[in-house]
Amino acid sequence: MVRALSKIAAIIIIIVIIIGVGLAYYFVTSGGGGGGAQPVKVELSGNFENDAIAIGKALKNNGITEVKYTVWSGGDPNSVMRVYGIVEAAERIMEIWRNNGVDVKITIDTNYAQKPDAVYQDYISKWALNQAPDIMANGYVYIASLASEGYILDLTDYLAKYNSFKNSFYKTVMDAMTYKGKIYGIPQDTEARPLYINKKIAACAGIDLKGLADKVKNGEITWADIYNMAKQAKDKGCAEWGLIHRKGSAHPDLIQFIYAFGGKLYDEKNDKLVLDKEAVYKWFATEKAFVDAGLLPSDMMSWDWGKQIHPTVVNGKAFAFIGGVWHWTEWQTKAYYHDPETGEDRGLKPEEVKEFFYYTLFPAGEKGKDPVTLSQPFAWVINSKAGYQNPKYDLLKDVYQKLAFLLVVKASDPDIIAIHSIISSHLPVTEAASNLLSDENWLNKLKNLEMIKSDKVKNAIKDIVSKTANPINIEFLKNTTYMLEYTHFTPKHPQYPKLADLFADAIDKVLRGQMSPEDAVNYLVDKINSDPDLKDAVEVMGEIPSGWSLTG
Amino acid sequence: MPGMRDVEIRSRSTELLIMCIVFMLSLPVITGYALIILSSFSRDMVTNLDPSAFKPTLTNWILLFHGRTALFAGIRVNIWGIVFNTLIVALGISLLVTITGALTGYAISRMNFHGRKHIMALLILLHAFPGSVLVVGVAFIYRLFMPSYTYVVYYSFFFVILARAAIEIPMATWLMKGFFDMIPWEIEWSAIVDGASRIRVWWKILLPLIKPGLAAVMLFGFLAGWMDLIYVRTFLAEPTLAVFIEYNVHAEYAYLPLVAAAGTLYLLPTILFFLFAQKLIFTISVSGIKG
Repeated sequence: MVRALSKIAAIIIIIVIIIGVGLAYYFVTSGGGGGGAQPVKVELSGNFENDAIAIGKALKNNGITEVKYTVWSGGDPNSVMRVYGIVEAAERIMEIWRNNGVDVKITIDTNYAQKPDAVYQDYISKWALNQAPDIMANGYVYIASLASEGYILDLTDYLAKYNSFKNSFYKTVMDAMTYKGKIYGIPQDTEARPLYINKKIAACAGIDLKGLADKVKNGEITWADIYNMAKQAKDKGCAEWGLIHRKGSAHPDLIQFIYAFGGKLYDEKNDKLVLDKEAVYKWFATEKAFVDAGLLPSDMMSWDWGKQIHPTVVNGKAFAFIGGVWHWTEWQTKAYYHDPETGEDRGLKPEEVKEFFYYTLFPAGEKGKDPVTLSQPFAWVINSKAGYQNPKYDLLKDVYQKLAFLLVVKASDPDIIAIHSIISSHLPVTEAASNLLSDENWLNKLKNLEMIKSDKVKNAIKDIVSKTANPINIEFLKNTTYMLEYTHFTPKHPQYPKLADLFADAIDKVLRGQMSPEDAVNYLVDKINSDPDLKDAVEVMGEIPSGWSLTG
Repeated sequence: MPGMRDVEIRSRSTELLIMCIVFMLSLPVITGYALIILSSFSRDMVTNLDPSAFKPTLTNWILLFHGRTALFAGIRVNIWGIVFNTLIVALGISLLVTITGALTGYAISRMNFHGRKHIMALLILLHAFPGSVLVVGVAFIYRLFMPSYTYVVYYSFFFVILARAAIEIPMATWLMKGFFDMIPWEIEWSAIVDGASRIRVWWKILLPLIKPGLAAVMLFGFLAGWMDLIYVRTFLAEPTLAVFIEYNVHAEYAYLPLVAAAGTLYLLPTILFFLFAQKLIFTISVSGIKG
């Protein structure tokens, strides 16, 4: 009897569980739908305020009182405006709504990692799981893969309405946002990679730096001259090293050598990567010359950023450093400097950075070639399912997507871009933001963050602003913006990271003396040919020049 | 008998020697833990035994409890929310694994049914698959039952607990089967004769006897959830401590002593759980029973 009862009970329990799961599934999957009604659409006019109001009213008329968006980004701790820019934009849009009787709230969830590439990987793995953010700021190189998979919104039509907004960005940077003729991103920031020269070492070695930046700009000063200066500094005992550069990866700092020697990395016509044997050989031979003269450490590629590279540069042990504009403020906010007077490790003061470092473009490889720099602009991209976390998504999809676009447009207000540039030492992407850096009145307001409407953003960035919004830093940004005219971009090709890894491997072997520059170029060719994907993707061109040496 | 000694009783010197060997073998692990805990209270990372590297400070912990991700600047996160997410996942998995393991372990140990042997073989096979190999298939199942957007966060928690527990259950089942096998059939028999149902016997008589086994399985389940990175990073809509640490360890920017503090916080529940459960786990004997 007991057995029979328990059997019946078990069957009933199983049936109840099955029905329960079925019902839950039904309710869960049918919730949030549009109920078959006609989707609501809002036409963009190009007038921001009117469009924002139209969108707000469309939401309100459909019973929506709160909308939620998620924004992800990553990078150094000073670049948090890559997410807070959207939080501030939401506050500004809500103010427009309040002034026009639209009572809808925008909530922004933020997620910020120190590795932008991890954010990108999470975006692609989570897109299909409905967990990807609505908006992401990340490297422009990812646009190609995200767009080809349909993960991000094509903004071409929206930007056709917002033509003057589109044209407010520097053309080179805006051009980097396109993929197959369509625009998928809005520039967020960009950067340049100056060659820093230690002024004290130069003075000690009797090297006159006056007008050097202009001579580099004109192509008069080449890497051979930098080599001679570095040697002079080392020979006179003024510096431990002549040149220091990044570790680990050849991308993107060292790739500049290829462009500086007039080489190519990408063939747009055939959509193929390029191994320019001549330029790559000259890059390897140049670095080899530095190592042979004891000017560049042979184990440079495995130095530690925090313990070796920055302390060596900041404590005046290296004549030149291939760095980036962001290092200017990083040296102020991190304790790389060992104060000889107090014996403590601390960040440099802005006036000390100015006193220690001179900066120029990355010089031309040889006479007749041009100086260069390399940029990797960050781009705002919008999820092709933007707004999906909100109610009545099927009905209001168009409205939600356009609101995401307006959030990005607002986050590109000149003051938001300018604040990001100042606190993170990245270069502004619009002329209007650039002009603010010279606007005394605006800079005075910046001290109290009067222009920021969101308390969350104000609290989060006030310390950073008080430490970085300094006339010396702002002057540095103004003085380096011209470098964007000389900028190059790395290819938006899916196989490029693999090729860049091979470059890093080859240059490491050259620096360690395990391979001659010539062998290293041939090693690259062999490596490319042995990988079917790379072989298809890379065009090998040019020949190794015979008898070439850096100093002629 | 004169000169006869219990094999379990060793001389003091042998015991000391064994202790020394065990200590030496555990030294690298202990040093690793000690260095990370010391670093969490230091301004610089303590990566060697040089005492001058230790510069005492509480800043790292204060920053961590304020949800800061960098010594200077950076974004603020809700660190307690992240700890809560991690706890939900770990406890959820622990509970599910223990309940399922105890039920299936009992069934396999005590009942004779069709396919019992095959199930046992399959369980071993399932255990042989590392979780990371199954991610693509698990993602497919996620999408199969994916709810509308509004419920994705809840669904993701439910799913991660279910998926991660599924990977632990084969091992837990085998462990529990072993424990049930150790209990003489007579105990159960007498209870059934007295009129108790199978479930009642399982709950009232057998489970109290295998507490060490339950504690061990619970601990393994908890650790699996607490330490998991691949499943939570792929499927969970909210971050856990493992994901938070992973996101903030970047050689170019990270302030590592803060990461060490997060790492110590990450270690803490595991150590506590182990300390509390230790006594239970090592009590393997099934009390009061003679075979």
